[in-house]
Amino acid sequence: MFRSRSWFGASWGRPKNPHSLERLKYLHNILCKNTTVSESNRGTLVESLRCIAEILIWGDQNDSSVFDFFLEKNMLSYFLKIMRQKCGGSSYVCVQLLQTLNILFENIRNETSLYYLLSNNHVNSIIVHKFDFSDEEVMAYYISFLKTLSLKLNNHTIHFFYNEHTKDFPLYTEAIKFFNHSESMVRIAVRTLTLNVYRVQDASMLRFIRDRTAAPYFSNLVWFIGKHILELDACVRNDAEMSFCSHQSQQKLDDLVAEHLDHLHYINDILCLNIPDLNDVLTEHLLHKLLVPLYIYSLTSESVRRLAASSPYNRDHIQSIEAITRNLEAILKGKHTESPSRMTFPRHRMESEDEIKPSVSCVVSLFLLSQVFLIITHGPIVHALAWIILQSDLSVFEDGATKILEMYISNAKSNVKLEFSKPQLSLEKALENTSSERDYTTPEYSGSKSFGYDTDQSSCDLDPELVSNSLPSTSHISEASSIGHDSTEDLVTQIQPVKSMSATTIKENMPDSPLPDSGIDSSSSKTNEYNNITDEEKQKLLGVIPSTSAERAVTLESLIERESREIEKRPFLKTILDSLDCSENDYKALFALCLLFALINNKGVNTELLDTLLCPEDEITSSAQESGVASSSAPSGDTQMSSPPPKRPLQSFNALLISKLMAITNLSCKPASKVRLVTLELSVTLMRVAMCGAGGGASARHAPAADALRARAAALARNFYKCDDIFLDMFEDEYCETSKRPLNVEWLCMDAAILLPPTRTPMSGIAFAKRLPSGEMERARRAIRTFFLIRDLYLKLTGKSETQLPLSNPAPFVQVGDVLDLNDSDLISCDIIQKDGTWQHRFLAVDHIQIILVEPDKQRLGWGVAKLVGSLQDLEIQGDKEDPRCLHLTIHKPRVGASGALPRTVLLRAKFKFDDHIRSMAAKQRLTKGRTKSRQKKMQQIGRLLEVSGMCAPALAPRHRPLFARPALATVRRSTGGDDDTERRLRRPSGHMLKDGIVVYRERTTSRESSVSRSSSAQGSREGSPRSRSEEIPMEDIKRNAVASSLAATPVVQQCQPSTSSPLLKTNNSSEETSFISSEPSRPKRKGIVETI
Amino acid sequence: MAYAYLFKYIIIGDTGVGKSCLLLQFTDKRFQPVHDLTIGVEFGARMITIDGKQIKLQIWDTAGQEAFRSITRSYYRGAAGALLVYDITRRDTFNHLTTWLEDARQHSNSNMVIMLIGNKSDLESRREVKKEEGEAFAREHGLVFMETSAKTAANVEEAFINTAKEIYEKIQEGVFDINNEANGIKIGPQHSTAGGASGAGGAGAGGAAGGGCC
Repeated sequence: MFRSRSWFGASWGRPKNPHSLERLKYLHNILCKNTTVSESNRGTLVESLRCIAEILIWGDQNDSSVFDFFLEKNMLSYFLKIMRQKCGGSSYVCVQLLQTLNILFENIRNETSLYYLLSNNHVNSIIVHKFDFSDEEVMAYYISFLKTLSLKLNNHTIHFFYNEHTKDFPLYTEAIKFFNHSESMVRIAVRTLTLNVYRVQDASMLRFIRDRTAAPYFSNLVWFIGKHILELDACVRNDAEMSFCSHQSQQKLDDLVAEHLDHLHYINDILCLNIPDLNDVLTEHLLHKLLVPLYIYSLTSESVRRLAASSPYNRDHIQSIEAITRNLEAILKGKHTESPSRMTFPRHRMESEDEIKPSVSCVVSLFLLSQVFLIITHGPIVHALAWIILQSDLSVFEDGATKILEMYISNAKSNVKLEFSKPQLSLEKALENTSSERDYTTPEYSGSKSFGYDTDQSSCDLDPELVSNSLPSTSHISEASSIGHDSTEDLVTQIQPVKSMSATTIKENMPDSPLPDSGIDSSSSKTNEYNNITDEEKQKLLGVIPSTSAERAVTLESLIERESREIEKRPFLKTILDSLDCSENDYKALFALCLLFALINNKGVNTELLDTLLCPEDEITSSAQESGVASSSAPSGDTQMSSPPPKRPLQSFNALLISKLMAITNLSCKPASKVRLVTLELSVTLMRVAMCGAGGGASARHAPAADALRARAAALARNFYKCDDIFLDMFEDEYCETSKRPLNVEWLCMDAAILLPPTRTPMSGIAFAKRLPSGEMERARRAIRTFFLIRDLYLKLTGKSETQLPLSNPAPFVQVGDVLDLNDSDLISCDIIQKDGTWQHRFLAVDHIQIILVEPDKQRLGWGVAKLVGSLQDLEIQGDKEDPRCLHLTIHKPRVGASGALPRTVLLRAKFKFDDHIRSMAAKQRLTKGRTKSRQKKMQQIGRLLEVSGMCAPALAPRHRPLFARPALATVRRSTGGDDDTERRLRRPSGHMLKDGIVVYRERTTSRESSVSRSSSAQGSREGSPRSRSEEIPMEDIKRNAVASSLAATPVVQQCQPSTSSPLLKTNNSSEETSFISSEPSRPKRKGIVETI
Repeated sequence: MAYAYLFKYIIIGDTGVGKSCLLLQFTDKRFQPVHDLTIGVEFGARMITIDGKQIKLQIWDTAGQEAFRSITRSYYRGAAGALLVYDITRRDTFNHLTTWLEDARQHSNSNMVIMLIGNKSDLESRREVKKEEGEAFAREHGLVFMETSAKTAANVEEAFINTAKEIYEKIQEGVFDINNEANGIKIGPQHSTAGGASGAGGAGAGGAAGGGCC
């Protein structure tokens, strides 16, 4: 459109060099002559602005006079003038103007130039200019401009943007107005900008942010997160109603979930910047405006409703819900609820709005809380949340024992009402107030201002100025928190009585410790009293606890019974544990498990608090005592948190939790179970944690139960144990799947698909583990995996190590490049012809589990170098219709360890040409038999694992013995460094056995071979064996020597594998006598194979 | 300016590989390589034509925000295409590709088109990463590959446009849900007036010469 450059060449006398001062002067001239934007000149203007950016950057890098001219002529003011004109093509010009500024600020390297650019406040004028933000292009360039500026912020440049005297910070306040913009990239830019601003850590600027903008910004942020969640909930409900969700709504759900995660990560990023003042405001808003009134509240509603009839505390359920939330509000706010200004207002509102209080379904709430605990680790938030979930009970509300909770909430002076409600002012309005003439008593936020930090600080005579002056750096906050003990100590004690949270955090938050010590007054004498009493109580209790296991068994049922009585008083925890009931389906249970998992693994949650779930009752008392001792010597905030008040010792729900998890596992062992694999895996994981207790030593008592479970799972899998080929493949694949991809709960909770009711059909696109099996095949897979999961639990609890899985131990495999002693082994000569026509000559050898193609070793007669090793089990054999001498073989990579689950790698797919059709048939037969045998063997192993009747107990023998090895010696080497004499003694008999029943096919048909195996091939038939038998003993030594000298040419892989049953270069030791015997019986089998050939 | 679709791109890769220069080179071709001037920008937009349709590309550079997990996360999710850039004269930038790719795959929409770019192809004498290596990496991970030079503008145009073509094809195949703006694709304001608009825009995109931002 306006792209013609014709004007360039015209009469303006443009200097030829585009990068020169002259050129800038010329452009300046253009700007002067075109002060009014019009249809006719806007092309010219755009082009000039573009050139200006280029010249300035060139000047910045090459010629400082260019920049001087730009500043001298005050060219930024032209920019402003152009911008302020409202005319036809203004957005067109504005976009270029913004892009020129972007380029300018992005590329300027010279700091002085940057300062000059910023110094005359034009940039701030541009920032506050009301562009036409309805134009998405303008919006995008504008927000990029702000973001680019924010990346330039540091302790020096901040002063160009933030004016301490006028309390003005347009860059920040203008940007956050777009925090909820419909365009995602704009929202992201705003978030980036805020984070860039916060991390500058300029004390005065942060104070401004905290006092003037934090409350409005965070309350709006939190409000929109909440609204978002309501939308998500609606989406879930909607989907749940439809029998099967449409593709589109699942996409929407995906986006909503991802958006929530984005919010949480953003909040976590802010919290991780560790700016105490900011974190406190954010924590407060998050807890009081969102997490408690929406997330936690949604947990109560259902359980409390059910509770209503039976509860001795609350008869009317509506009342009880209200009572809980209201009491929680009072508790969270601490003493300050008495303050009249806020007393009446919230209460009043509460009653009127009680009926329509927003809430989400329990499922969504559990899911969201899991995400919170998975992402956010800021102590005060997660700890308070965890405390509310685990500890708060109805009696707390009834007794009004606010003092207990007080300890957990640092922001007791809160003036943020506990309610999910819309901020009273839109962010824009609130910010207008902040930026206008400052009065500290703006009614809407008088709370946060007059009662908040300002008063606190002034009341303890802590002039803000003084704070920053008393510290060397501009950032008193970060400094103070890192100084901790020494210089700020006086300051701290001064503040503490007044309960300024920043001060407390300074004291409690040791550097780099994101601990949940949210401003608990640890030196308080009151809490010390608690401590002492508790200890005494605990000691008394300890004496009563039954100590023998017999007594324990008796008490287990009563224990569970008592715990389930106790849990009636803990509405939130009860909801979670009740959700674990899978008798109908595991929809809710999965989320409850996620939440428990996230809770337990969150670093910010105090471990002692978790003892509620993880410690059996008797251990709690003992461990509490220990910690009591610990805390008396070094009082810390942590121990206080979970220290119960004197009358109620910490109640454990460990037994109840385990019984619930047990029930899930039990259910999943039923053929028609409605428990998904992911649910099972998660409950098994949790069970392991819960059964191990705090000390980790208590797991043994659960072993019998675990064993029973294992037996049940084996029985389930046994139903599918058939001797068809596919079961073995399935079994191995599933094993690899389970061992390769351990559950990642964080990823699980990113998947919106689990929010939909459990489905069966694979056509939903939901991963197998996250849905129910469809059809017999999947039921078999499910049964196998269930078995693996439960077996793993059993092994871990009993402390046994895995000896039977995976089925094919990688160790006995010959590796490519291994040098094998093939004297007197079965070898079939063949030519391998590949598709592309390449031709190779090899000898084919077959052992128990593998097919090996070897090339003769040039150095030692009768030895061969393995060139290709594939598994017999997966071998595909096909005859050739035209040429009876040929076979078509597809050789797969052996399944080794976890890599077996990869799509089976084809090592070689080629035509094998043998000398004649007899050889070809022999090879075919041998391979086919070998394949069958190797599969049968594995099936037997599985049979033993699954305790299929008729299978003997797992033998100690090695599972595979290579064919061409001395079978007796092919044993697992458990210890190294055996005595030489013993080795030799053991080896001799085996050498003898090597010769048994081995037929050697060694043909000399190709010319290539003759050069290598000239001598050996001559005796390559049976007559050769007596000779080599007689040579057996010396040969051993030769071989060993060869190994010892570790020929560079023949790398011997087996040597370095500790537990190999290397077929050839075996060092053995005396401990293996049992296996020696046990391996005997299977020898005839192998003989059998050979004899058929 | 009217368009049929708007595609959002992100540019990822180590610092100093020339991401913002590529961006500026594409969106504002006038910045010709003279006097060793390295110049870049973090955002830009440009109109192109594919299959006779006006398509607007919005390109967001993600530089300087790596410190914040929430930011990188969201960026990936909002984009329909990504240019994964390394510097052929610095092997370490090539070695980090796997990490970048893992990140991208984890956070992005599964349909996001990723193009691998080996930048600074003009510096042949200082080359550390062979073109074949780049090709092999791309093949292995199913990416489109190209070597570019932001300096000489070689292949820059192609890199962005080929990515757009691939996205466009995916839309035609119905892989992308175009009604979902979270995918980084937006349908333009009703382009029934396509006659006039596309005439003007077409000239801009086709001519491309000065055509920065419309």
